[in-house]
Amino acid sequence: MIALHDIERRLILALAGSEGRLDGLSRVTGLSMDQVRRGVEWLRYKGIVSIEERAVKQIGIGREGLNALKGNLPEVRLVDAVAKHGAEEGEGVSLRDARMMVDLTDDEFNAAIRYAREKGLITISNGRLYVKGSVDLKSLPEYRLLARLEGGWLRLDELGGEELNAYRMLRRRPDYIVERDVKDITVRLSDHGHSVLKQILDEQVRVGGEGTPAVKRIDVAAPAPIIYAGRRHILQDVIDEVREILIGMGFEEIDGRMVQSSFWNFDALFTPQDHPAREMQDTFYIAGINASSIDADAQTVDRVSSIHAREWGYTWSSEEARRLVLRTHTTAVTIRYLADHRPDEANVFSVGRVFRNEKLSYKHLAEFHQVEGIVVSRDATLRDLMGIQQEFYRRLGLNRVRFWPTYFPYTEPSLQSMVYHERLGRWVELFGMGIFRPEVTEPLGIDRPVLAWGGGLERIAMLKYGIDDVRELYSNRLSMLRGAARCQL
Amino acid sequence: MPVVTLQHSRLERLVGKSIDEILAMLPYIALDIEEEGSDYVKVEYNPNRPDFSTDYGIARALRGMMGMELGLPRFDIAGSGTAFYVDASVKGIRPYVLALLALGGSMDGEDLRQLIGMQEDLHMGIGRRRRKVSIGLHDYDRVKGPFHYTTESRDFRFIPLNSSMEMSMQEILEGTDVGRAYAHLLRDHARYPIIKDSHGNTLSFPPIINAELTRVTEHTRNMLVEVTATDLKTAGDALAVIAATLSDMGFSIGSISIHYDDGHSMRTPDMESRRLSLPMERLNLLGLDMSSDEVVDCLRRCRLDAYMVDDRIECIVPRYRMDIMHWIDIVEEVAIGYNVSLMEPRYPRLKAMGSRDRMLKVLDHARDVMVGLGMIEVMNFNLVSMDLQYRMVEREGNDALIVEESKSREHEVLRDSLIPSLLDVLSRNIHEPYPQRLFEVGRVFHRDGDGIREEWGIAAVIAHSQANYTEAKSYLQALLYSLFGIGTDAVRTLPADEPPYEAGRAAEVLFMDERVGSIGEVRTSVLGNFRLRVPVSAFEIIVSRISSSLIQQEEAG
Repeated sequence: MIALHDIERRLILALAGSEGRLDGLSRVTGLSMDQVRRGVEWLRYKGIVSIEERAVKQIGIGREGLNALKGNLPEVRLVDAVAKHGAEEGEGVSLRDARMMVDLTDDEFNAAIRYAREKGLITISNGRLYVKGSVDLKSLPEYRLLARLEGGWLRLDELGGEELNAYRMLRRRPDYIVERDVKDITVRLSDHGHSVLKQILDEQVRVGGEGTPAVKRIDVAAPAPIIYAGRRHILQDVIDEVREILIGMGFEEIDGRMVQSSFWNFDALFTPQDHPAREMQDTFYIAGINASSIDADAQTVDRVSSIHAREWGYTWSSEEARRLVLRTHTTAVTIRYLADHRPDEANVFSVGRVFRNEKLSYKHLAEFHQVEGIVVSRDATLRDLMGIQQEFYRRLGLNRVRFWPTYFPYTEPSLQSMVYHERLGRWVELFGMGIFRPEVTEPLGIDRPVLAWGGGLERIAMLKYGIDDVRELYSNRLSMLRGAARCQL
Repeated sequence: MPVVTLQHSRLERLVGKSIDEILAMLPYIALDIEEEGSDYVKVEYNPNRPDFSTDYGIARALRGMMGMELGLPRFDIAGSGTAFYVDASVKGIRPYVLALLALGGSMDGEDLRQLIGMQEDLHMGIGRRRRKVSIGLHDYDRVKGPFHYTTESRDFRFIPLNSSMEMSMQEILEGTDVGRAYAHLLRDHARYPIIKDSHGNTLSFPPIINAELTRVTEHTRNMLVEVTATDLKTAGDALAVIAATLSDMGFSIGSISIHYDDGHSMRTPDMESRRLSLPMERLNLLGLDMSSDEVVDCLRRCRLDAYMVDDRIECIVPRYRMDIMHWIDIVEEVAIGYNVSLMEPRYPRLKAMGSRDRMLKVLDHARDVMVGLGMIEVMNFNLVSMDLQYRMVEREGNDALIVEESKSREHEVLRDSLIPSLLDVLSRNIHEPYPQRLFEVGRVFHRDGDGIREEWGIAAVIAHSQANYTEAKSYLQALLYSLFGIGTDAVRTLPADEPPYEAGRAAEVLFMDERVGSIGEVRTSVLGNFRLRVPVSAFEIIVSRISSSLIQQEEAG
C-alpha cells in the first residue's frame, strides 16, 4: 500500500466520482485552499491525478458598484427624485431644477442622465426632462448582476445573455466592475489514481471488518442540539459602545439619581414653574411624598429663585421646587455635578433612564435612555461643541453630520444635529446641544462656558438593529435576544 | 411643539424668492420641517417664537436671512380715538385688557386661517392654555366704541360664536365643548368677565368664547383685537406679535387707550423696541473670527438693529421678539445671522483621560459574570403597573411609590423589586425553548423618610422542568464569588417565608449580617398568575449594598 497523507487521502475520495476544481475540492473536503493546492501538487507528483490548466476571466464588484447597490444607481435616484418632487405628468422639470433635486456630483448627474435616457426612463426635449413613470430598481439587469457580484467573483464565461449585456453596460462606468485573470485548474484521477482509490476503499472495509472494537460511525452531518450563549441585552450593547466612545474621547462617566427634586430637574435649568413641560401631563411626579426641604444648599436655592423672579417675573414657590419628579432628562445629573464640584475644567457624561408621561407608541416610550455630556472650559466655543458631536458620530460610523439652530430653555445658542445613515439612505435627527445659559451657570458659581449635548440612545439602537418600533427594544422576546449577533458591522 | 402649515405659493409671494431657496433656508432660522407636500410644507417652530405662528412672520425673518430686507421692521401705529374702560370687578378674576384696531385690510381664506392659527398658538403657548392670556378677534364694523371690560352674573345671556340662540354664561361653561375645556379658569368666581360695546352689545366672554355678533370672516375689513390676561407683560407680548402680523397683512394699526378704574391708563399696542448691549468679546463663545461689521450684518439679517460703540455692540430688539432676554440671546442671533450651515465644526482634543463610573463598572462586571454563566440579559421599565408589581406576585402594595396621573396603566409605580418584571418576561416567552435563564440589572426604589432611596439590584430567574432552589443558589454563589470573591461562608441564606416564593423553599440572603436580597422557588399560584407551566426559581440581590459594605470594610481594615 502506497503511503498517503490524510490530505491526499481525502482529495482522492473527493475525486472518486468526478473531476473537480480547486475551490470545489476545498468545499467538499473541508480543507483550506492552501491544503488543497499542496495536496494536489503531491498527488500530481505521484501520478495519481492529472491537471488541466486554462486561463479564464473573472469579474467582481468595484467600489462604485458597491455604492450603487447601497445608494441606488444614479439614474434611478435621478428618476425617483424627479418623480417624488412632483413633476406633473407631461410637465417635466428643467435640467437645472433636476440637478438641484438629487444629491449627485456633476459627473454622476451627467452619467445618470445618459443612462436614464439609454434605458428609456426619461426623455429630454427643449432642455426639460420628462420622467416615464417610476423604476423598480430590483428589476434592472445591472442591479441584479451587481447583487450577484456582491456575493463574490463570477466567471465571465458563465454569465447568461442578460447578465452579459448588463456587464457590458456596467463596464463602461468607472469602478463599477473589476476584472481579473485567473488560472482555472481541473483535477481528475489518473488510471493509477483509480487503482489507489480502490486500495483505500478496500482498506476501509478491512478495518471495519476485522472484528477489532471498531469505533461506531456516526452521522457527522446530522444537526446538533441548539444551545444559546448568554449575552447582554442588545440595548446594553449600544449603551456600552457609546460609553466606550466617550471614555475614549476623554470623558469621565458619572451616575445619578432617577428621582430628583423639581429644583434640579427644572428650576436650576431656568425652566419657569408655569412652563408647560412641568405639567403633570408631561412629567411624572411622585405621589404622597412631601420632601421637607430642597436637596441643595440655601445659597444656590436663593440665587436660582431670584433669577426666576427677575427674568420670568413671577413669584417663585419653594413648595413647587420640592416636588419629587422622575427626571425628564439626564441634565438633572450633570447640573448637580456642576453644582457639587464647581469645576474650572471638566469633561463628564452620563447615560441613564429618563421619563416622560407619554402614551406608548411605535416612536414614543414613557421611559428611555439618554446620553448627556458636558465640557467646562474657559475657551470652549460653539464650534468645539459641533466638533465633539461630529467626532462622536464619526466613531459610531456616521460620517455626514448637519447642524441647525433650535431652542431649549436652558441652552443658548442651541443646535440640533442630524446624521446621514448609509443603509437607510436618509438623514436621521439625533442629538440636541447648546451652551448652558448664564442664568443656569451663574447661580452655581460657574463663570465659564459649559457645552452640553445629549439625546436618546434608543434611536441609535433602532438604526443599528434595523428596528422600526421602539417598543421592540423592551419587548424582551427571547428569540430576538438569543438571536441578535453581537457584532453589528 | 406648535406646527404651522405654509403654502409654497404664498411663501414665494411673501418672501420674493423661489420655493427651493426658501425650503433650504427654513431650518436655519430654527424651523424644523415636519412634512412636505407638493404645494405646502409643515414646519415646527419653537414656542418662544410666536411670531413664527404665521407665514407673514416667517417671511419677515426669511427676508432678513436672505438679505432682502435688513434691520428692524417698521410698524406704523396711529391713534384711533377708541377706548376701553376697565371695571374694578375684573380685578380678582382677569385684571388686564389690551386692544388694537386693524383697519382697511382684506383677507383671503388662507390669511384668516393663518390668523386663527396664530391665535390658537398664542393661547396654548405663552398664553398657557388661556390661563395667562386669551385673545378675541372681532369684526369692528358690527360694534361701536368705547368698549367696557366688566363682569356679569352667571345667568347673563348672549349668542355665543357658532350658535344661533342665546345662552347664559353658565350654560356656555357647562354645555359647550370650549366652555367645559376652560371652565376651570373661572371656577370659584360668582361673576364672569365680559366685553361690551357702547350700545351694550356683548363682544366676548373671556377667556371662553366670543359672541356670534362679531364673527370675523373673509369679508371683514376692520378688526378689533382684544387680549385679556392675568399677566400684563405676556399680554403685551401677545398683542405685539398680533400687531406685527396684521400690519404685514396690510392692515393699518390703530392704537386704543385703556382706562383702568383706579384712574391710570395706557395706550396699546406698545411696539417700543428694546435695547441690549454686550461687549464684543462675548462673541468669542461662537469660535468665529468676525469683524464688527460682520456682527452688525448678522444681527440685521435677524431683523435686529445694531451699531458699535467702542468695543460694545448696541442692539435694538423689536417688541415682538420676547425670546431675547439676555446678552446670550444676542450671541445666538449672531450665530443664526451668520448661518449655522456655514459654521465649521472644530474638534478640540481633550487633554483628560476618560473613565467609567465606579459603581457602573461593578455592574459591568456583574453582567460579565452572569453572561459567563450562560444567562440572557433582559431590560424592563422602572415604572411598571401596580398589578404586575404587587397583585400578580401576591405582595402587599402599601408602600408602593406611585406616580401621579400616569397616562398609561403600564406605568404606575416604581419598582422595589426586579423579580416581577422578570416573571413577566418569562410569561411572554412560554413558546420559546427552555431552559430559560434570565437576569436583569436595574434600579430599585424604596421610601426613605420623606425621600426615596435608590439602589442597584441584580435579579435572575431560572425556568425549566427541573428548576429548583439549589440551582438558583448555585448561580447566586457563582455570581458573588466571581464578582466580589465572596465565598459561601460569608453569605448566609436564612429561611424566610415571603412572596413570591413557596413557603419552606425560600430564604433571605445576608451578607455581613445585613439583608442584601432573597432567593427561592416561585410559588405555584404565582406561576399560575403568569401562565407559566414550568417550575421557576429566582434570586435578587442589592449589588450596591454589598459593594459599599466591602468598600467600608476595606477602608476600616
